Amino acid sequence: MIEFILNDRKIRTDKPSGLPLLDFIRYEQSLTGTKIGCREGDCGACNVLVGHLQDGQMKYLPITSCLTPIGNVQGKQVVTVEGLNMEDLSPVQQYMVDEAGTQCGFCTVGFIVSLTGYCLSHSTPDYKAAIAAIDGNICRCTGYKSIERAARHITNALAGKDTRETVDWLVERKFIPPYFKEIPNMLQTIGAENGGQKNGVLVGGGTDLYVQKHDQLLDREVDLVANHPNWRFITIKNGVCTLGGATTVTDVQESDALQTLFPRLTQHLKLVASSPIRNISTLAGNFVNASPIGDLTAFFLALNAKIELTEDDKSRTIFLKDFYKGYKDLDKTKGENITAISFIIPPANSHFNLEKVSKRIHLDIASVNTAAQIIVESGVIADAHISAGGVGPTPIYLKDTCAFLMGKPLTPELIRAAIDVLQSEISPISDVRGSENYKRLLLRQLFYAHFIKLFPNQISLEVLA
Amino acid sequence: MADINKKKIVLPLAPNEEFGSVKHLNTKKIKLPHGIPGHNLTEIEREVSADEPPALAVNDQLSVVGKRTKRIDAIYKVTGAAKYTSDIQLPGMLYGKFLRSPHPHAKIKSIDVSAAERHRGVHAVHILSVEPGGAVQRDNGHDAPAETYHVDKLPVLRYVGQPIAGVAAISDKVAREAVQLIKVEYETLPFVVDLDEAMKKGAPLVFEEKVEQQQTGGDVGGEAGAGQQGNLRGPSIGSFYGGPRGDVDQGFNESDIVVEGEFRTQVQTHCALETHGIVADWQTNMLTIYASTQSTKSVRNDLAELFDLPLSKVRVITEYMGGGFGAKFGAGHFGVMAVVLSKKSGHPVKLMLDRKEEQTTAGNRPNSQQMLKIGVKKDGTLQAIDLTSYGTAGIGLGAGVGRVAQDMYTCSNFRMAQYDVFTHAGPGAAFRAPGNVQGCFALEQLIDEIAEKLNLDPLAYRDKIDQSEIRKVERKKGAEKFGWKRKQPGSDSGVVKKGIGVAQGHWPRIIHVDSSATVRINKGGSVEIMSGVQDIGTGTKTILAQVVAEELGLKAEDITVKIGDTTYPDGPGSGGSVTAGSITPAARNAAYQAKMQLLGQVAGGWQVEIADLDMEKGEIFAKSDTSKRMSFVDATKKMRTNQIMATASRPDDYGGFEVGNAIGYDRLGSVQFAEVSVDTETGVIKVDRVVAAHSCGRPLNPLQIESQINGGVIMGVGYALYEDRIMDKETGYMVNANLDQYKLPYSKEIPHIENIIIEQYGAHSSTDASGIGEPANVATAAAIANAVYNAIGVRIYELPMTPDKVLAALQVI
Ligand SMILES: Cc1cc2nc3c(=O)[nH]c(=O)nc-3n(C[C@H](O)[C@H](O)[C@H](O)COP(=O)(O)OP(=O)(O)OC[C@H]3O[C@@H](n4cnc5c(N)ncnc54)[C@H](O)[C@@H]3O)c2cc1C
Ligand code: FES
Ligand code: FES
Repeated sequence: MIEFILNDRKIRTDKPSGLPLLDFIRYEQSLTGTKIGCREGDCGACNVLVGHLQDGQMKYLPITSCLTPIGNVQGKQVVTVEGLNMEDLSPVQQYMVDEAGTQCGFCTVGFIVSLTGYCLSHSTPDYKAAIAAIDGNICRCTGYKSIERAARHITNALAGKDTRETVDWLVERKFIPPYFKEIPNMLQTIGAENGGQKNGVLVGGGTDLYVQKHDQLLDREVDLVANHPNWRFITIKNGVCTLGGATTVTDVQESDALQTLFPRLTQHLKLVASSPIRNISTLAGNFVNASPIGDLTAFFLALNAKIELTEDDKSRTIFLKDFYKGYKDLDKTKGENITAISFIIPPANSHFNLEKVSKRIHLDIASVNTAAQIIVESGVIADAHISAGGVGPTPIYLKDTCAFLMGKPLTPELIRAAIDVLQSEISPISDVRGSENYKRLLLRQLFYAHFIKLFPNQISLEVLA
Repeated sequence: MADINKKKIVLPLAPNEEFGSVKHLNTKKIKLPHGIPGHNLTEIEREVSADEPPALAVNDQLSVVGKRTKRIDAIYKVTGAAKYTSDIQLPGMLYGKFLRSPHPHAKIKSIDVSAAERHRGVHAVHILSVEPGGAVQRDNGHDAPAETYHVDKLPVLRYVGQPIAGVAAISDKVAREAVQLIKVEYETLPFVVDLDEAMKKGAPLVFEEKVEQQQTGGDVGGEAGAGQQGNLRGPSIGSFYGGPRGDVDQGFNESDIVVEGEFRTQVQTHCALETHGIVADWQTNMLTIYASTQSTKSVRNDLAELFDLPLSKVRVITEYMGGGFGAKFGAGHFGVMAVVLSKKSGHPVKLMLDRKEEQTTAGNRPNSQQMLKIGVKKDGTLQAIDLTSYGTAGIGLGAGVGRVAQDMYTCSNFRMAQYDVFTHAGPGAAFRAPGNVQGCFALEQLIDEIAEKLNLDPLAYRDKIDQSEIRKVERKKGAEKFGWKRKQPGSDSGVVKKGIGVAQGHWPRIIHVDSSATVRINKGGSVEIMSGVQDIGTGTKTILAQVVAEELGLKAEDITVKIGDTTYPDGPGSGGSVTAGSITPAARNAAYQAKMQLLGQVAGGWQVEIADLDMEKGEIFAKSDTSKRMSFVDATKKMRTNQIMATASRPDDYGGFEVGNAIGYDRLGSVQFAEVSVDTETGVIKVDRVVAAHSCGRPLNPLQIESQINGGVIMGVGYALYEDRIMDKETGYMVNANLDQYKLPYSKEIPHIENIIIEQYGAHSSTDASGIGEPANVATAAAIANAVYNAIGVRIYELPMTPDKVLAALQVI
């Protein structure tokens, strides 16, 4: 039995936990406001909000319902456009009407949901955040300009928003229906324990699996990790940061501790997928997906992270860089799960940077990505961990390059000389994302970029070029 | 089922099949606004039918038309109440699914559907004995390349995704399972998916026999009777604007400067957010269809013809639809399949394509290779233009690059040869300004090159060679708004270089005279307008309400718009920017005639002349005696009949057509300016700003027009930088048949856009309006390309302008 709240109604269903939420909403509940544009997480026409209690407050996040197994909303509230409709239009709906934010209208509900999610967030209203909130929504008709105008009006209408009692504030101003206030109480009556089954296919956020084979999972029980409290946490103890395997990209992005460690974290992670995808995709999923251009993988490789692999009650810990043996070939048995990821907190004098280039700046798989963690002491490189993606069959930890750099004075000549080593340990191929030469060139440029950004006093483009 | 080869081919442009211009029993002379306010506005006298309403004043003297009016159906869209074809749920409805070809080229040796038929939950299975649909059937009655199909001989499979058979079952899942149970033995054959490879001698042939296809309305098909050699069909040497002109070789001999270039554009897919699809409900007395279509009547006509039904027995409904951009005309292979399955099973059948099917089988903009050569005199006068182009629409036709080189600038010596190249790929389809977008990319870059050689500013040079008064104003106003001031190409220092560029667009003004509407005034004052025309997101419902409201002195929201149903009088298709110019005059004329009937009754009551009465602000009044005044609502309460009704069709253009019954005088011109930043290290181009100056006759609703222009510009940005259908040469599959690796622009990629809408009166009809859909994206990619050149000093001749191409052009890789 899976239990959750759909808008204002409690749902109890014996549907298999692997059924996509989208199918449940449209076919089982006949709520057709939520649309199907792609079934691959790319268009946002299927976006819904998922709310859960956090520190006594409802926290709402937009997600793509096409990639989400219903088991993953156990104990939560799912909001579709039908649950936002009131007697009059909400300001979000009204501004979209006033500014001609809808043409054919097929994408519109997805935008309404995403923008309402922006209203419900507990942060101060900001136009940029409004635009970021629709980063996973495609509109082929309007050119987005009218939607931008609506977003501006909405942001203005949110002036003075109570960022704590946000729901009450929004109810009062008719952004959302009054029943939202009842949801916390209703949720208390439902368990948060996930409805998945131990021996099914292991699903994290589903953003990889459901793109590949939603039709094979829709009538199956799946093993869900995303809701498991033991798998989703971020702690810092004894100079080591540990994250649960099911920690989502958004969890990482929103972690105060990690923000302090990596001041540019938000900018870096904004280049990963779109917000509805980041809200559900997990770190372990990204690692196991083993795509050579996984962004989180590149990130954690440069932190020289370790992963904990667990099967039943047996656990072992290995370096992430040793996890990848070949193309989609992992040092992992079928039954092993990634339960945790850990890395040693970089010392205060360490510098971290992530670079990504893709055809489209946002929401695009990288052509090439790379991350670097570098410590320089008295002008000498004391430690270096650099990763690269998109330049080989797996995400790569550039061990030769790192070894080459170590212990040498940081000079432009050194950085230039490192390029030969770097080029020798990568093996990019020509594909949709670019030719081999292009990727080699890109990685060189991005490698330079690390040093230019991290050590602007010592290294500049002019001296490198 | 009727033999598809018997389908007659209806040519919207062929004057020999329809009567030519219409004569009127009584005519009158009216004076209409003509020209551009603030520039050259005058009045012109036209002799028109006595039934025509009086001339409509210029916009600033009107109360509803020309005003920023909110979409009247937006409320249903923002609440999710709008029901699209994919949302239709009928009692007992089944789900249809296709078995599609896994091979790019193969023959079916045997096919066994018995296991599928026995599968639990399956109601019907059908093997397609013909391959209807696809791009080549997109237009009304437009036939597939005429290969002879026999019922006992299954069609050759010519692309990955070609439909073979269909299944209707109780759920999508069961249908999918059943499809997998169909056993097919294939004989695979050699194939070719690449344009250059397909042109080589000895390349695998897509069609063994000669195929035939007539030229059609909105696009550039191969000419009838054109030659065919190997996979090459053509050349097409003319268009509806005529054939070759003058002596091109001599023109080049007399030229002082000759520029030439080879330009390439990619295959672009439509990516409407709602995929193609249909719900078919076959009943003995009526076939009811819910279709995501750009033309309800085209679906009806196709199905009536294929299933031997009278037009009266097929009803097509399109209340809401999620975008088309040219690919959604006709019944399509899925429509035909859904109807067969419904007929066989006795249940309604829904058949929606998934995104992969959409990307591979439902149409695309053909690619192009264009060799363009232009000769000019020292003073810049165009002496000769020579264009040779090749492009592939897969198994379809229509890869011409438009009439841009032929018609945008005056040049007395002109020649072109356009070839279609067949490949084993899904059929192309009309796509937002078919041909012109491709053609513009080449022409407008070369015009810039000439300007540079002549040491002239690109705008100044166009002022010299462009006869269009509309574009002249657009250039002037656009340059002002943009702050046009160019640096030397490539002179920007630093890693990220900025540049600006301009390009012009061109699109014919096309009218469908088969466009009718009924206006009904009910007792109590409610007013309806009814037509088969559909609103595909362009705002047709709203402009119809505006036009009727203006005529009756009411507000747009007072009018109930009932469209998208073939129960009503036929409307035009929504494509080629024909809709506004075709249906709004019919709507106004119907409203006018209904109004005259009502005024006739009021005049009788008040004992005044009809001519003495008028309607304004919800009231009827006598001009000669202001005490005679009554609200519109009260007047309707006194009507003799419950309803007053009038139907009107689109008359000929006032002053006649330029070509046939469809091509009007005046072009829909545009001028777009772009500013870009090019990162010379990573090769990434960012479009920072676009100023888009456009004309569409009388602007009916600037709010909607702006949105259409913005949508066109962004589609142009996608075309310029991201979008590209990639075929795997080894397997014949489309590599990026999704929205993940097929890249569209998202909200974060959007440049600053400013619009300029030129109000322009041509005195062509009772509304004098035109569409804007096509002109909106014709010039964008060319403007960006010119801006990129200005930024980095090197030209990019191939779309999309991806980072690796930029770096290659800069000779970094
Ligand atoms: C629209 C879109 C955009 C994307 N953009 C990016 C991008 O920019 N950068 C990027 O790197 N990725 C991107 N991705 C890919 C994807 O989101 C990530 O790889 C994501 O992190 C996968 O996590 P998940 O939890 O959703 O994986 P799932 O689909 O749940 O699982 C993926 C695989 O990991 C296994 N798995 C999951 N959890 C565990 C565990 N704890 N232990 C062992 N195995 C496990 C599953 O069995 C499965 O084999 C994008 C995806 C989409 C749909
Ligand atoms: S349907 Fe496109 S993101 Fe879910
Ligand atoms: S309005 Fe059509 S896709 Fe957005």
